[in-house]
Amino acid sequence: MSECGVMSENMPMLLTESLDPAQRELTHQHIESCAACASEWSAMKETWQILETLPTVEVPARVKQRFLAEISAASAVPANVVPFRRRSAARWLAEAAAVVIVGGSAFYAGHRTTPRIDLTPADARVTAIQPYSIAESRVLPAASISPTIEGRPDIENVQFSDASPSNQQIGVSFDITSHVTVTGKPTDKSMVRLLRYVMENEDKMSPSRSRAIDWVRATYSRVDNPDPEITEALANVLRNDEHQGVRIKAADTLQSMQSAMTDGTRDALVEALKNDPNPAVRVKAVEALAKLARSGAVLDPDMVDTLRKKAAQGDENVYVRVKAAEALSSIQPR
Amino acid sequence: MKHLSDEELMSIVQAGDFSPASELYDRYSGRIYNFAYRFLRNSESAEDATQEVFMKMIKHANQFHGDARFSTWLLAITGNLCRDYLRKAENKMKKEGEDVLITLPAPAERSPHRNLERQEDKKMNEKIIQEALMLLPPDQREVVLLSRFQGLTYAEIAQVAGCSEAAVKAKAFRAMDLMKKAFAGDSRGGDQCLNVV
Repeated sequence: MSECGVMSENMPMLLTESLDPAQRELTHQHIESCAACASEWSAMKETWQILETLPTVEVPARVKQRFLAEISAASAVPANVVPFRRRSAARWLAEAAAVVIVGGSAFYAGHRTTPRIDLTPADARVTAIQPYSIAESRVLPAASISPTIEGRPDIENVQFSDASPSNQQIGVSFDITSHVTVTGKPTDKSMVRLLRYVMENEDKMSPSRSRAIDWVRATYSRVDNPDPEITEALANVLRNDEHQGVRIKAADTLQSMQSAMTDGTRDALVEALKNDPNPAVRVKAVEALAKLARSGAVLDPDMVDTLRKKAAQGDENVYVRVKAAEALSSIQPR
Repeated sequence: MKHLSDEELMSIVQAGDFSPASELYDRYSGRIYNFAYRFLRNSESAEDATQEVFMKMIKHANQFHGDARFSTWLLAITGNLCRDYLRKAENKMKKEGEDVLITLPAPAERSPHRNLERQEDKKMNEKIIQEALMLLPPDQREVVLLSRFQGLTYAEIAQVAGCSEAAVKAKAFRAMDLMKKAFAGDSRGGDQCLNVV
């Protein structure tokens, strides 16, 4: 096999960084000195990057339901026979008493609370709701905490503060992992801010911002006049995210939310078209600008200038050039 | 359960207590489903395969010894199931002349270049990539999916696919070469991204 053949076979391992250091160095040296292999490497790298843009698909919820149902059915027929043990009379009595107490309490609570709900003025209930702040840390007085702990939350890093001589207050601080579900309309400011945080904070988000952007696109492309904060968040992702797959999705989502575009988001698209190192991101950016031009939006001179330069740039991706020219031809005269 | 490792959860399952099943499902169902879906390109079969993988995880829990990563073990089960699905679909087609599980694109639709010129649909990227993946033989497709989307090393892929590491490397090379050509419409020297995106 020729040297080029050997080096070509090493390329997939270069992509996955699984070549040993000596081979890696040798392959890189060869690529730098051989035009054919450099072209081959460039194409392979680009293919590898493009694969990353394949979106993640959500598992339908029914799969889990079916799986859990099947496990329950399997558990109902145990492989090993568990020996029967007679329960003590005391336990029978305790269980019977528990049934009576729970049933009686529920009946009593139901009959007591039903008329109260009907009689309470709606405004009074609304003012009773305390705003829940999603915060990194907070200090809460014991009086504001319900004495009931729901479920079995994971509590870590527990620290204790002794009673202060002045007011006899003690303190317990801890990290708690709890699952929070926030519901509301897509236009609610709290919802918009939450989604903005999720999209913009790559180091604080798990499991995937890419999935969050997919969901935002599906949700907000159906919303009339979506909040511009959503598009601003996407613009920040487009500007700052280190993963090209995420930047591609951000640009693509901006394209579907033209009505909420601000000057800032348009600038982000222009910057991406000018400077993003990944051609697929530039393609998405120019597509979004072309769509904007087709929709009759007035493009500012900097935008038009960038499109002109891109349309004429010899070493630019042909698709980007074609789209830039298409956008220019769609611009409405002022 | 959330604070327990995969191995700790599996040791509970191995002791006959299935309560960690839901937590293990939550941790890995996304990866398993995506792998199966991209391998088979059929959501219904991917759903069946996902459910079957987790049932096998429960039934054959004692076969997990912890010498490979738990995720690799699950992916190995998934790979076996998907290969079986494809084999059965192929046999069915041969015997009955019915449609195979995977419907390959018609020749006119195979050129991503032409598709790009015709359509601007934002779903085209996914379609083109998936079509390029489906042009690969199943063994090469499996290597690409495990390497690119599941982040497995070639040694781990060899465990999953039941072949040597050298064979995996050869398959990876052939697969990348085919995909590169598929994306470029088999025209070397052209503008690759034009054809890829």
